[in-house]
Amino acid sequence: MTSNNKHKLQAIRHLTGSTYVLEMERRGMEFEAGQHILLGAEDNIHKREYSIYSGTKDEQLEVLVKEVEDGMVSKQLKKISEGTYLEIEGPLGFFSIDPELILAKRKFLFIASGTGIAPFHSMVKSIPGLDYTLLHGVRLVDEAYEKDTYEEGRYILCTSRDDKGDFQGRITDYIKQHEFDKDTVCFFCGNFNMIREAMNLLEKKGIPPSQLHAEVYF
Amino acid sequence: MKYHIVQLGCQMNISDGERVQQVLEGMGFVPTDNEAEANLLGVIACSVRQKGIDKVYTMVNKWNKSKNNKNLITFVSGCVLPADREQFLKLFDMVFPMSDLPDFPNMIKQYGIVTPAGLQSLDEGLKDLKIAEPVSANPKELTLAPVEPITGQKQTSLLRPDAGIRDFWHISPKYGSGFEAYIPIQNGCNKFCTFCAVPYTRGREVSRPSSEIIGELKDLVNNGYKSITLLGQNVNSYGLDKKSDELSFAELLEEIGRFGDDSKRDFWVYFTSPHPRDMGDEVIEVIAKYKCLAKQIHIPVQSGDDSMLVRMNRKYSMEKYRGIIHSINRLIPQATIFTDIIVGFTGETEEEFENTRKIMEEFKYNMAYIAQYSPRPGAASSRWADDIPKDVKKERYHKLTEELMKHSLRYNNNLIGKELKVLVRGKDRKEGYLSALTEGKIIVRFASENESLIGEYALVKISSAVPFSTEGELVSIYEQSSSMAGSQA
Repeated sequence: MTSNNKHKLQAIRHLTGSTYVLEMERRGMEFEAGQHILLGAEDNIHKREYSIYSGTKDEQLEVLVKEVEDGMVSKQLKKISEGTYLEIEGPLGFFSIDPELILAKRKFLFIASGTGIAPFHSMVKSIPGLDYTLLHGVRLVDEAYEKDTYEEGRYILCTSRDDKGDFQGRITDYIKQHEFDKDTVCFFCGNFNMIREAMNLLEKKGIPPSQLHAEVYF
Repeated sequence: MKYHIVQLGCQMNISDGERVQQVLEGMGFVPTDNEAEANLLGVIACSVRQKGIDKVYTMVNKWNKSKNNKNLITFVSGCVLPADREQFLKLFDMVFPMSDLPDFPNMIKQYGIVTPAGLQSLDEGLKDLKIAEPVSANPKELTLAPVEPITGQKQTSLLRPDAGIRDFWHISPKYGSGFEAYIPIQNGCNKFCTFCAVPYTRGREVSRPSSEIIGELKDLVNNGYKSITLLGQNVNSYGLDKKSDELSFAELLEEIGRFGDDSKRDFWVYFTSPHPRDMGDEVIEVIAKYKCLAKQIHIPVQSGDDSMLVRMNRKYSMEKYRGIIHSINRLIPQATIFTDIIVGFTGETEEEFENTRKIMEEFKYNMAYIAQYSPRPGAASSRWADDIPKDVKKERYHKLTEELMKHSLRYNNNLIGKELKVLVRGKDRKEGYLSALTEGKIIVRFASENESLIGEYALVKISSAVPFSTEGELVSIYEQSSSMAGSQA
């Protein structure tokens, strides 16, 4: 079902100084975990794409937003007060898991940089029993957005600017140093350069391109 | 009262413009090629490149100056980004998305323009609009929104410019040709390629009811049209927005194919532009099965490199694309294949470009529309660095063009000596020659000054070839009972 536009903002959950979760009325909007929406303030002609952060069974609709310097949408959204209406279009996109892969109990490797974790957060919350490992690349440990959502041992935080993560270094360094089952289905979300490098590495490790799925954040 | 419309951009805009003309002529406006004598000036805008939008600003500033000397109203519609729409509201008298076209007579009436239709009541005027339709395509009643208070300007929903597209499709167009026509079957885009602004100007994918499409196509064929192109931003995503409540694209083609067989008429049906993500074998199988479905497929690849395809957010891999080409070659070996390619996209390395050059060699396209990348305002990639120098883009463009010319020439040389069925389209640039297209859209020119051949099929024996075109001698006017299959090119 397509949303008919206006969803009331119920709360803003600040995760770091620049990253926050918008909690909105869901208004019955149906979506598949991994899809995104076009979102903006009611009076702003500019809209941006944001992956849905909440699960398919959650009451609220959530997106994870990082404030962008000179951003025309993310800065404005951060200042919006509760009760204000936001304009939404969607859900959109094809970045979701084929149900047959879930039924076949395949192993999944989720690879995210920064707020690219949002679609995986939604997938994990929506699909019980998912056999996944989530690699999350950030600069500092405080960017491990709501890591308690994930089962112990499934979330691996790669920090490039401090040594407080599970792995010190970039995601691509982690991939270089580890082996992966060739049947693993890989999903990438985030910065393009990370995605390109990580895809190449995994291909070289024997994972076929048909098992690599990406959503670029821009 | 006279009108003049400037149409910029793709076939979709041309098709939209045909409907705008129908509405205006239904109101009693008369077309003029002379801008200076028009009372109503409009532009169907295109946002694909900034240059196109800059042209609109230049035009409207000029038009506004001439308002000092005469009564003139101006409008803009078509593909317009939200930020430009805001600016246009200050410059044009009317700014509306194409989906609001059914409301256009109301908007004009608010300006007090007296036209033959305007002298009657609005309802009477709309009766004229329907009578004026050159080809009836099962028209439904036009639904007009209530007249809004006169504000001098009209602003519509910025977020969902496609909201009223269904009413727009009920307007029969004033076709620009008596033998070639476009039929819009789908509007909008859900794909969000990073280089493209269409999702922000035309909104989401909406499919036109198949009954209307088939009705319009039947009317065209019964009126002697010979080349009909189904249009959509993602034409083969047709029906996906309606889930199982509408035909799929393959099923739509099947219906058309069956009609073609039953009608015993000779016509070619094309479609543009499909997206590889939604291109399955079932579509190719249907094209192979029916004579009227032209054996020419335009399948945009954009890049031959998997990494670039990710960056472009194309949502398919080269493995998938290669599978499509193999299916075409297997099921319709005589089909010509066209494509679109962008060179010099943000971050394109030599290796990535080389992968694109290699696929030109591998797939041997008959035609490729190659663009040197330039950021398109509103598209996601416009926020990225345009970091490939102009001379590198140019060099890559020339390399691909050379590759394309090589394959095109080889293919065209193989046509020499063959008699091909062609559709004569008009006078050629070469004096004393007519220009035609084969079913596979290969250009054929032949010596003839018989303009009555224009719009007819003919048999031409190919005598020489160059890249992208051929030359031949007229054998005869094509008779339907001819033994020629007509599908060799």
